[in-house]
Amino acid sequence: MSEIPSPPTGPPPSRREPDAPRALALPFVAVVAYTLRACLPAKRWFGVLLPCAGALLFGWLTQVNTLPAAESFADVAEHGLFRLILPLTCLVIGDAVLGADVRSGTFPLTWLSPVPFAVIVAGRWLGGWLVALVTIVPAMALAPLFAGVPGATGPMAVATAAGAAAYIALFLLVGVLVRRSAVWSLAIVLLGEWLLGTPLTGIAQLSPLWEAQQVFAGLWSDGDLLLRSGMASGGGSILRLVLISGFCLGLATWLLGRMRPIGGDD
Amino acid sequence: MSDPEVPDLDPAFVAHPTVVVDGVSVWFGPKVAVTELSCSFGPGVTGLLGPNGAGKTTLMRAVCGLLPTNQGAVRVLGRDPRQDRSVQQDISLVPEDDAVPGALTARQLVRYTASLHSVRDRYLPEDCLATVGLLDVADRRVAGFSKGMRQRAKIAASLVTEPKVMVLDEPLNGADPVQRAALIELFQALGAEGRTVIISSHVLNEVQRLAARQLVVIRGRLAAAGGHRAIRDALADRPRSVLVRTSEPRRLAGDLLGSDAVQGVAVDGDSLIISSSHAGELAALLPVAARRAGARLREVRPLDDSLESVFRELLR
Repeated sequence: MSEIPSPPTGPPPSRREPDAPRALALPFVAVVAYTLRACLPAKRWFGVLLPCAGALLFGWLTQVNTLPAAESFADVAEHGLFRLILPLTCLVIGDAVLGADVRSGTFPLTWLSPVPFAVIVAGRWLGGWLVALVTIVPAMALAPLFAGVPGATGPMAVATAAGAAAYIALFLLVGVLVRRSAVWSLAIVLLGEWLLGTPLTGIAQLSPLWEAQQVFAGLWSDGDLLLRSGMASGGGSILRLVLISGFCLGLATWLLGRMRPIGGDD
Repeated sequence: MSDPEVPDLDPAFVAHPTVVVDGVSVWFGPKVAVTELSCSFGPGVTGLLGPNGAGKTTLMRAVCGLLPTNQGAVRVLGRDPRQDRSVQQDISLVPEDDAVPGALTARQLVRYTASLHSVRDRYLPEDCLATVGLLDVADRRVAGFSKGMRQRAKIAASLVTEPKVMVLDEPLNGADPVQRAALIELFQALGAEGRTVIISSHVLNEVQRLAARQLVVIRGRLAAAGGHRAIRDALADRPRSVLVRTSEPRRLAGDLLGSDAVQGVAVDGDSLIISSSHAGELAALLPVAARRAGARLREVRPLDDSLESVFRELLR
């Protein structure tokens, strides 16, 4: 590492060797790949997989309960899976895809490119959602099997996938808005969704947590145990989650052009 | 970088600018980082000189569009880098800070940047890694790199975008002397190709080796501009104090006091503290005066020759 060759005035001799490098990815694909590689290092994966294990544990613990399996699982799904596991896992992923990148100072690498902000936002979100699809979605879908309620597996997978999509979009938006995105994201879950969303249906209708639960309740045969009056369920809730995702991603795109993606120190 | 066709141009400006900074001020809350700074940059290498905290990094970030300006305007190739994303196709920044996506390998980092800029030549990332001497370690994670290697990885990621305007913030930090020389040669070659290369440093000699044209920024203001000579002249005429230890302090002091180069002399034991506003003349005068006074010079040492003091004097 002691010598630097001359400036790039011409191709080096090795330029046309048979083991040619792969073609370069399109910008959108590159952003998604970057999200998977750079935004989610090993520590983050641990933070994602830990609540996934918790989801399986919650499913298994259902069997300890003396209530009928469906009733017992509904209780665990409401208080454990949707209120705790889903938001926390998505917080770890959602903070990683943008907020952590901004905090660490590496986001200018992406920001200082001609790629439209919409592509950056969509790529980051998709990268995060893909992680959710291979981690928390299978874990949540397996939880009913562990609980002895196999009929809930499909609805749980759909609800988790839709809820994760909205959550990651929301937390990505928080990452654009504030520097301490993890803290603010947690505050949204605890204060907005738990504290205000529980008694106020108007707030719950804007909450990925409650809407995801309503998706599950609407699609599961025993879902009436979880249905909340005054809110849509099943497909209606999926539509709301899509709208929440779209709104958050659109706003994040708009704000990205107005942010200072670096600290203020010289 | 003076243009012979425009002999009276303010040295802060160039005749054919690619980057124009027009009355720019940037502040962070109560802290003003850049104050009504106007200058321009054109093809070739321009050194941005100033002590730490002078506002160089803020200015460079504003030029790239990373920071909005509170007052004034920045134009890169005639466009506002905050408003027009297409500018980013033509400009690249090598930041000073250590922040690199450590989970990526050097090759992944350079290929990622190439993809973002829609580079079609799949060999170009390899060429750029070879240019900065990182091809052998291209599959190692950047997190394990030394500071100098990180800088070179960032330079490779910048080169791969083939920018018309290249902004490098302290790019030689962490580089060993051999790498330093090679990088200087690289930057000069890029400037000779017609690219606008803006390089910041707080090391005076380093910038003088790098760039024919220099801008000195101090406390967020443009303090001096021009070629080596103009900056050197500005430095030479500043007041400075020199400590001289000698065998005949009083006789030497008496001899020196008659000179125009000496503003004052204080005697302290076997030492003299000489105040002068013409350091060059003093350097020539001192041995002659010592010979006349029959004094032996045991030590001659500037008391305030740190770069920061030089910059402070320039700002006065």
